[in-house]
Amino acid sequence: MKIVVPLNQVPDLVEDLEIADSGKELDFEVLKMKLNEFDDHALEEALQIKESSGGEVTAVAVDGPEVDKVLFTALAKGADKAVKITGANPHADNHTQARVLAGAVGQLGADLVLVGVQSAGDRDGQLGPLLAAYLNWPGVCVVSGLKPEGGKLTFHKEYAGGLMAEFEVDLPAVMGVQAARATPRYAPVSKVRQVQTTAKIESLAAAAAGDVPAASVEKMEPPVKGAGAKMLKSAADIIQVLKEKGVV
Amino acid sequence: MLTPVEQIAFLALVALCGLVAAHGFSLIFRTVRTGQAALRTDHLVGRVVKALVDIGLQKPIFKARPVVSVFHAFIFFGFTFYLLVNIADVLEGFVPGFTTVGAGGLLDWFNLFADLFSALVLTGMVFFLLRRFVGRPKVFEFNKGVLLHPKVARGGVKRDSLIVGVFILFHVGGRFTGSALHLAMMGHGDPWLPLASLYAQALSGLSPEAMELGAHVSWWLAMGLIVLFLPYFPFSKHIHLMIAPVNLILERRTARGQLDAVANAANPGAGHMNELAWPNILHSYACIMCTRCHEVCPAHNAGTPLSPSALEINKRYAINQDRGGYAGGQGTPGLVGSVISEDAVWCCTTCYACVRVCPVGNEPMRDIVEMRRRLTFEAKMPDELAAALRNLDEQGNSFGESNRKRSRWTKELPFPVKDAEAEPVKYLWFVGDFASFNANCQGTTRKVAQVLNAAGVDFGIMAKSENSAGNDARRVGEEGLFDSLADKNIEALAKCQFEEIITTDPHTYNTLKNEYPAKGATYKVTHYSEFLLKLIQSGEIQLKKKLNRKATYHDPCYLGRYNGVFDAPRKVMELCGVNVVEMPRNRENSFCCGAGGGRVWMKDHEDTTQRPSVNRILEAVGLGVNAFTVACPKDMTMFADSVKTAGQEGKMEVVDLIDYVLEAMDLAPAAGNAPAEAATQPVA
Repeated sequence: MKIVVPLNQVPDLVEDLEIADSGKELDFEVLKMKLNEFDDHALEEALQIKESSGGEVTAVAVDGPEVDKVLFTALAKGADKAVKITGANPHADNHTQARVLAGAVGQLGADLVLVGVQSAGDRDGQLGPLLAAYLNWPGVCVVSGLKPEGGKLTFHKEYAGGLMAEFEVDLPAVMGVQAARATPRYAPVSKVRQVQTTAKIESLAAAAAGDVPAASVEKMEPPVKGAGAKMLKSAADIIQVLKEKGVV
Repeated sequence: MLTPVEQIAFLALVALCGLVAAHGFSLIFRTVRTGQAALRTDHLVGRVVKALVDIGLQKPIFKARPVVSVFHAFIFFGFTFYLLVNIADVLEGFVPGFTTVGAGGLLDWFNLFADLFSALVLTGMVFFLLRRFVGRPKVFEFNKGVLLHPKVARGGVKRDSLIVGVFILFHVGGRFTGSALHLAMMGHGDPWLPLASLYAQALSGLSPEAMELGAHVSWWLAMGLIVLFLPYFPFSKHIHLMIAPVNLILERRTARGQLDAVANAANPGAGHMNELAWPNILHSYACIMCTRCHEVCPAHNAGTPLSPSALEINKRYAINQDRGGYAGGQGTPGLVGSVISEDAVWCCTTCYACVRVCPVGNEPMRDIVEMRRRLTFEAKMPDELAAALRNLDEQGNSFGESNRKRSRWTKELPFPVKDAEAEPVKYLWFVGDFASFNANCQGTTRKVAQVLNAAGVDFGIMAKSENSAGNDARRVGEEGLFDSLADKNIEALAKCQFEEIITTDPHTYNTLKNEYPAKGATYKVTHYSEFLLKLIQSGEIQLKKKLNRKATYHDPCYLGRYNGVFDAPRKVMELCGVNVVEMPRNRENSFCCGAGGGRVWMKDHEDTTQRPSVNRILEAVGLGVNAFTVACPKDMTMFADSVKTAGQEGKMEVVDLIDYVLEAMDLAPAAGNAPAEAATQPVA
């Protein structure tokens, strides 16, 4: 069972977002990036599957700033292989990302691709369905509790109102993981540092993405601040406001 | 004088028991040698002299339990003297006509001491037996969740105590009876043997035959028993009388606040006994199982499953289980799950109280840190801790805040704080995470800035590049994270021009002072309590008012016990006109707030009956003070909260040292500094 987990970095939201001079995208030069939290769940679920029913986990990421740290961290957590896709834009939209990843998955070979169900960078739709479409594989999103059996995979999918369904899908497939069955494990810095000296990250040249249908950004700007709320302290205040507005 | 048959029997017994005992001792030696390397043989003469003086004065044992320690001193001095007594007894048994009784000269004095010490040992031993088996003090009990070796759980320690106690009673009692019979046979007392003379009167009614038989029996009780007991020593906790001095000679000489470097980077810490440093294996033999360590342990007192005492005891029982095998290098006892439970490992606050109080120089806390190193490396830790570590790794602070917001607390000050990264300063203030980010601490941080500013001190902060100093990351065992944080700080500090580092945070103070030098970064580091005292004494801080109030002071572990800063904060308080009323547990014996060792990031254990900080506040209640003084940002958070839990809101106020200085300087708190709101927010 070969599981491939694409890892994507998104802006770290503890920092204020800054927009590039072009006014059309974020200023990736100054932004601090971190691993998409949902991708961390996808990786954890992959490792859990490996630990419970065997398999090989490959972490894949598009080359970019800090990508080595992300991949070494995945290795420190227990991934068997880490692959860096070179020659592609790590900040590209999801259509392009999906095309690049589909090419990589084709070369690496996989029975199962686990992606995070969503990401802060999902401007043009979620990655999972796009990737499934480009691979021409079945794809299901917002899933949890994955269990491979033979050439099939059973999993849960949650619907509105807390309704839960159990699915079965033929492999290979792409799954958009909602949450791993356990809190994503901590990668000890001691271990990451050790892995850096013992393990290797493989490189894979990105296949040409080709002509990807994409929406272009016209303008990007921070939300305009409204007048704000006024805190009322007593019933008298409320009456006062109502009077001012001419309601009473 | 023994009969020839008795003499031969005795010599045979000595040979047999001596051989078995020697084998036992060699097993100890070989088991200890399975441990990791540690340098403990430097300055050997100095080590021996210091240990002998300390032991001679019984200093290590008088650190706690003074009454019990007096009775221990009876036995200790008595037993030490009994080395001579035993020699004299062997001579009496083998040399025809030899006796010390009535011999005159020095031997008279020898008899007097032997007489008095026999009584003291017996008194001491009866006291200890009564204490353990009749008094049964609570301090011997373990909390319900504590992992105990099956034999310990079945009362192994009690059994061992009883055997040792009865042996001593017979050994010394036999010898004392022998002396009395000797006098009874002579038909008169001896002024150099006053107590034996009294005893002799009681025995004077016996027939001469009975007396003769009694003399032989008592000789065997005294001398035969000790020889027979020799093979038991290496199994028993009583071996402490031999290993404890060795342990004290070989004790650590590095700073209390410096953890050992990782021995094996490929697999850090300890998962098995032989992955501990060899002195830490020796500790289990030195342990007399007195439980003083858990008596002072905040985790034990909180009702959690951690007992440093159980750890050492379990280590010993685990080794005893297959002594031959372990000594021969076959297998080695596991640690987590075998001698301590995993949850107990995470209950330790690394307050150092257990190490400080141990009368034989053991370091259970350091074992725990080694086990944490292994657990952390295997990513086995509470989720909340993992989250804090992830924050430290990603943001450089445990709060998960943007590190760019680190200097935000300065915004509300009416004066600018220099950026030490942009211009030279005399004093670089390493602010630390809690003082920078915690809403309950920022007010205090601003007051410190205000006082320094008013005193005209040339100071600045690393507004952008300061990271957590890493003291607590290291104490939860995340050595790699500590390295990474320290490296970042050292790099940033190298770019700044300053003469001295000041900090309000004892944890930061500790690691900068004691652990950064091992990374080639040595700074002059001063805690603000010391710095304030210096400024007051030099007149740079002008105190205009005497506050005329009474307050108690809480010694932070990492300032007091770890680094010996006890007087400066008290002096500052006194100079401000604050009358310091001490809590019963003060200075070296201060009681931890419960936040150290990364505990501040973790949830209370479900067994918790009383948080250490609440325990501490209740200690201060009843002193007749309404101010509880702290000198550590974490303490402000911990205690402000527990004042409420302890039901002391409005009666006890948590005051930072800086509050007194500010008030005595007659400065109004700067803008944005309303009186400290009591802490209610969960800590990060």
